[in-house]
Amino acid sequence: MKKILLLFLVLELFLNTSFAQNRTISGKVIAATDGLPLPGVTVTVKGSSIGTQTDAAGLFQLNVPSSSSTLVFKYIGFKILELPVSSGTINATMEEDQRQLSEVVVVGYGTQTRQDVTGSISSIKAKDIANLPLPTFETALQGRAAGVFINSGSGKLGQAINIRIRGISSVSASNQPLFVIDGQPVISQSLGSATEPDNPLSSIAPEDIQSIDVLKDASAAAIYGSRAANGVILVTTKSGTQGKSSVSVGYYTGFSKPTRKQEFLNAAQYKELFGEAATNMGYDPAEEFEAESGTTDWNENYDTNWADQAFQDGAISQYNVSLNGGDSKTRFLLSGGYSDQKGIIAGNKLNRANGRINLDHSIASNLKVGLNLSLNKTMNYRVPSDNAFTNPLQLNAIPSIHPLTDPTSGLLNRGTLYYNNLIDLVEASNQSKQFRSLSNAFLDWNIAPSLKFRSEFGFDIVQLEEEQFNGRETLDGAPTGVAFNNQVRASSYNTNNVLSYVKRINRHSIELLGGFSYQESRSFETSSTGQAFPSDKFTKIASAAIISGGNSSETGFSFLSYFARANYKFNDRYLLGASVRMDGSSRFGSDNQYGTFPAVSAGWIVSQENFLSDSKVVSFLKLRASYGTTGNAEIGNFASRTLYGASPYADQSGIVFSQLGRPDLRWEKTDQLDLGVDFALLNNRISVELDYFDKQTSDLLLNLPLPATNGFTVITKNLGSLENKGFEASLSTQNLVGEFKWSTNFNISTYKNKVTNLNGSTIDGGSRQLGRISEGEPYGYFYAPKYAGVNSANGNAQYYEEDGSIVDQDDFSGYSQKVGDPNPEFIGGLGNRFSYKSFDLDVQTQFVSGNDLYNIAGFFQSVNGDYFDNQTVDQLTRWRNPGDVTRVPQARLYEGNGALKSSRWVQDGSYLRVKHVVLGYNLPKSFVSRAKMQNARIYLAAQNLFTFTNYTGYDPEVNATYTGNVNLGHDFYTPPQARTITFGINMGF
Amino acid sequence: MKKRYITKVLMIAFLATLTTSCDKNLEFEPSQSIDASTALESETDIQSAVIGSYSILGGGALYGTNLNIIPELLGSDNYVRWVGTFQSYRQIANRALLPNNADVTRTWVDAYSAINNVNNVLANLDKVSEPAMQSTFEGEALWVRGIMHFELVRLYALPYDSATPGANTQLGIPISLVAVNAEEPAAVKAKRNTVEEVYSQVLSDLTSAISKLPADNGARADQFTALAFRSRVYLAMGKYAEALADANTIIANSRFQLSATLESVFSNKRTSETLFEVEQNDQNNAGTSNDGLTTFYASLEGIGRADLRVNSPFQALYSSTDARGRDLIYTGVGARPGNLYTGKWKTFGQNIPVIRLAEMYLTRAECNFRLGTAVGGTSISDVNLIRVRSGAAPLATINLNDILSERQLELAFEGSRIHDLRRTKRSTGTFAYNSPAMVFPIPEREMRANSELVQNPGY
Repeated sequence: MKKILLLFLVLELFLNTSFAQNRTISGKVIAATDGLPLPGVTVTVKGSSIGTQTDAAGLFQLNVPSSSSTLVFKYIGFKILELPVSSGTINATMEEDQRQLSEVVVVGYGTQTRQDVTGSISSIKAKDIANLPLPTFETALQGRAAGVFINSGSGKLGQAINIRIRGISSVSASNQPLFVIDGQPVISQSLGSATEPDNPLSSIAPEDIQSIDVLKDASAAAIYGSRAANGVILVTTKSGTQGKSSVSVGYYTGFSKPTRKQEFLNAAQYKELFGEAATNMGYDPAEEFEAESGTTDWNENYDTNWADQAFQDGAISQYNVSLNGGDSKTRFLLSGGYSDQKGIIAGNKLNRANGRINLDHSIASNLKVGLNLSLNKTMNYRVPSDNAFTNPLQLNAIPSIHPLTDPTSGLLNRGTLYYNNLIDLVEASNQSKQFRSLSNAFLDWNIAPSLKFRSEFGFDIVQLEEEQFNGRETLDGAPTGVAFNNQVRASSYNTNNVLSYVKRINRHSIELLGGFSYQESRSFETSSTGQAFPSDKFTKIASAAIISGGNSSETGFSFLSYFARANYKFNDRYLLGASVRMDGSSRFGSDNQYGTFPAVSAGWIVSQENFLSDSKVVSFLKLRASYGTTGNAEIGNFASRTLYGASPYADQSGIVFSQLGRPDLRWEKTDQLDLGVDFALLNNRISVELDYFDKQTSDLLLNLPLPATNGFTVITKNLGSLENKGFEASLSTQNLVGEFKWSTNFNISTYKNKVTNLNGSTIDGGSRQLGRISEGEPYGYFYAPKYAGVNSANGNAQYYEEDGSIVDQDDFSGYSQKVGDPNPEFIGGLGNRFSYKSFDLDVQTQFVSGNDLYNIAGFFQSVNGDYFDNQTVDQLTRWRNPGDVTRVPQARLYEGNGALKSSRWVQDGSYLRVKHVVLGYNLPKSFVSRAKMQNARIYLAAQNLFTFTNYTGYDPEVNATYTGNVNLGHDFYTPPQARTITFGINMGF
Repeated sequence: MKKRYITKVLMIAFLATLTTSCDKNLEFEPSQSIDASTALESETDIQSAVIGSYSILGGGALYGTNLNIIPELLGSDNYVRWVGTFQSYRQIANRALLPNNADVTRTWVDAYSAINNVNNVLANLDKVSEPAMQSTFEGEALWVRGIMHFELVRLYALPYDSATPGANTQLGIPISLVAVNAEEPAAVKAKRNTVEEVYSQVLSDLTSAISKLPADNGARADQFTALAFRSRVYLAMGKYAEALADANTIIANSRFQLSATLESVFSNKRTSETLFEVEQNDQNNAGTSNDGLTTFYASLEGIGRADLRVNSPFQALYSSTDARGRDLIYTGVGARPGNLYTGKWKTFGQNIPVIRLAEMYLTRAECNFRLGTAVGGTSISDVNLIRVRSGAAPLATINLNDILSERQLELAFEGSRIHDLRRTKRSTGTFAYNSPAMVFPIPEREMRANSELVQNPGY
């Protein structure tokens, strides 16, 4: 590393030239479309670090060395303009960039123009997601970024969501990408005690985001080394711009409903099905129902739609205000917001308050310092785990013949077959409060025109407080009340120090970058549990008679990394790039403390060649290829160690072996090849990006079974391998460019996942789940007995044997086989944007196709009246008489007819969703200026407006988190997504 | 100009310093665990490791649940009925075991884990400088190793046949004597030793333990604990003279005395009667909802799953005045109310007597009867001592059957049922004492991890 730094120094000593005389150039920058001045345009002297920004009137003034001959004008959304330095005044007219090739793409530790990128990067800009009522900012990527598969898991507010970039690269380590916000890897792992954790990123306000860039291939991501195998998501927050201070105010409000509901039997249907189920087995239904539920409701006439009780009318309101401005020395952005959401699931609420100051100050023309400071508070009134009797969705299991309230007392009915968890809404609370400060300071020092040093120092502090109370009448609080309190503090600090060198000599452009970073992250957790309260009026543990649990623990990790990158461009058409990162981490075993992650890439801008430069059809064509290595370091903090842990023995505590480790344990390794073509046709009206990728992951961490007779059952080793291969295509077109504008974005991607080596073992998802990982198959494929429907002669459930024959359940051997695959065949999105005069309309759809879902709850709710759980209405088509042809076996109480774990509850999970629709209207200028405003816009937005699917469960975008990482696409009383309609207004002053 | 270069050089020097100062920060130590290389360095560490082994013994896989419940369920006919939902215990009760049975697996795994923990104690005894303490730790470690091998061989192998002493060549379990703390020795594929070899290893460990342990070691195992277990081992082998000698030594020479009532042995901690009990309290115990003896046996208000129901004909074996049947078997009032349950296990935090003096009296009585001797007392006086304590009428005459059934009555629900049936070659239900269906399979996970193991017949 030191050698690299020295190399920079030597280079600089040789190449540095001293300044002779300067001249002052001034001018004005206007937009080509409307001739209005453009504030905040970056004006730089080409080949140097000298630069300024235009003020509110579009004016600039700059000292230009006599040796320099060109000024460069850059402004987001406009084409880069280069003008020769002629006289003292230069007026520039900038054209809007339709094709985005000149847009700035954020890459690791720097930026590049889209045109020069040789890797695969998807970008989302602030304007793409403005006005959307996004639950969290990551959801902005859904349907918009090719190769990025997002599954929100459920409709619970603030819950962790699954993001998979280019498939699934790990079995036992994490599959989530690395999140880097303003240069700082942030805490994105779940914190706290819940089996279904909160999403720590939900505390980041989408309004503060300038851009989201997704680094997908190795050449883009390898600069993040051992943590980049699942891709990297770079988030850049907005910064202040020079010029007159502007204030913008936004507000939206709306309501939400579940996207879909499921229909269950009403009282008459319930009695019909269960009467038959009991009679078929020689039972008296009323007697059996009384024996199981302890009530005589069978003989009453109640009819309750319990399934509907799980939902409430959702509502959302958000307010945000930001102030942006500054002068040539100091620029600032102040923003603040408050959002209040009431979820669609009974009892679910989330509110968030956020504030941010982004400030930068030029100390001298070549020295700039800045500070991004943010503070957020998120309060989540949680919904219990899918697998808890207290999950409101589990109300649908309660027979419809039970009354909702006790007819004598008028209180919520406590005499139900399963716990009436509406009682929890009244007598229990479950809150998680998160405070987060994500802040970083930076220094930019233009040491010389070509040499720049940037130092960043950031802090990310998350304080999570979980507080639960269950009153004495609740299921979990009986008989005297239970309270739980958990405090988690996670903190991470990170420093990046980067020296970069940019030089163009004739037709050679060189960019060199080198630096190091260090990150240290720690988390502390303290919890206590108290029981036996004087009454439900006392809810703090201080009032508990028994402190039944207490815990405090700490963990942490560190990364020390050195990295370097070189980009070379010849004649504006041949691109070469190489990068390397060396990562050391406390997580890696002492024999393998450092890993090296290199990547190379090349590109050829064919359209710059003479034979294409005059083409009327092809306006841009670039071929690119990259290959490199990244790692996955989410292997646990101390997996390499052989450890002793404490083990209590009554009043004493002893020590026992807790883990056997290997000192050579290291990261999982992914080698990725990416081949891509970017092209634009017809004057950039049509632009296309195509990618093929091949990701080969090896050194997967697996638990190798050991003979227990030596005292240990497993050792974690780098053993397995898997692969992901796929295509990505994105297309954007300017269909109409006149007064009526219409543009389209479309993307589609695939991944084929295959586990290639598991050291001969298989990993199963559990006794009720179908997920399985085994060699030669895709990750998490469904493995179970295959359901063959109903024997029409006797109503017995039937299954497939190994030889393909169909047998009745009683004769079935239990043979299991592959019955589905939760991995989609393709995913994508289609967006259309229309604008006419002051109106604009944005319609974004998103689709997932070819994936299977498994409803674990089918075993309880779609099992032809096997037990008294209320059943889905499709169970009414049960077999009744010989000759009946149906998929639903004869109803037989307690008999388990068709109740085996099987493909019976596997369904196609494909769906197409109208994800966002935004209809906006910009108020007329005349009105706006009379109201002393710069602009004003009102809009109507809808999220998840329509969902098209054949899935019969609640919502096809589902992932029952509690089932663990082996089980993808499982549904278990999982709440559906919300359909949200909002009305909003944005005003600028 | 020169000044600018100096600045740059300084800056690079600064960067270089930052860089080197960071290296040591890659050393991150876990907070809730310690590295094995520093875990066993001092006297205190070794003591902690010894206590740690007791904590494993007290877990649900061993004395906390399974080493009690398994022998009861294997001999459950006309005695106790499993009505719970746990499939693993149902399989044991039905004697229809599968090699992937969760309890078959965990008992095997935890017993060997305890063995390796004490093997590591034995390998690090040199860290203990005080000779008496060193001797105590060594004795405790050998005792743990001995009894764990004993418990395993009784469950996972065909029974020791006392008719062919010295020639029990049927497959036992692998003997583990090596301290393992690294991958290479942990991957060694051991073969099964014969039952004979395992028993002699057990005897050797317990005999050494007896010589190393002090006469009183507080709540932990002492000399008499080890003697009591050795007496059990001899009895299982049909070595009645040796079993008698050990039992008699304890009765005659130790501080242990029968408690006034049997009930008090279970409702109190560390009574004068228990030779060894697993310590528990309200916070640290084998379990309160899915594991632990009270969890499975009890049917009290808010306590217990009531999974083990006592058959009423078994209760009828006690006379009406016998507190063991009258008070220590009760009608459930919690889960599955109205049925009979044992009153020995009623609170989550109670200690678990594993071996107690009453058993020594019954062993002495049985051995004296079989040998035609009256060492320390007559068979009938020993048996009557136990009976009268609980309010049962003393017997006027006695035969072997009386002694064996007294043993069943006294030690009911304490984990000795199947072992006593087997050593006396009595069948249970339709299963012969040596039925392969009552021998645990070698766990499936173990068969996969160790190709040298041979599975038991019938699996």
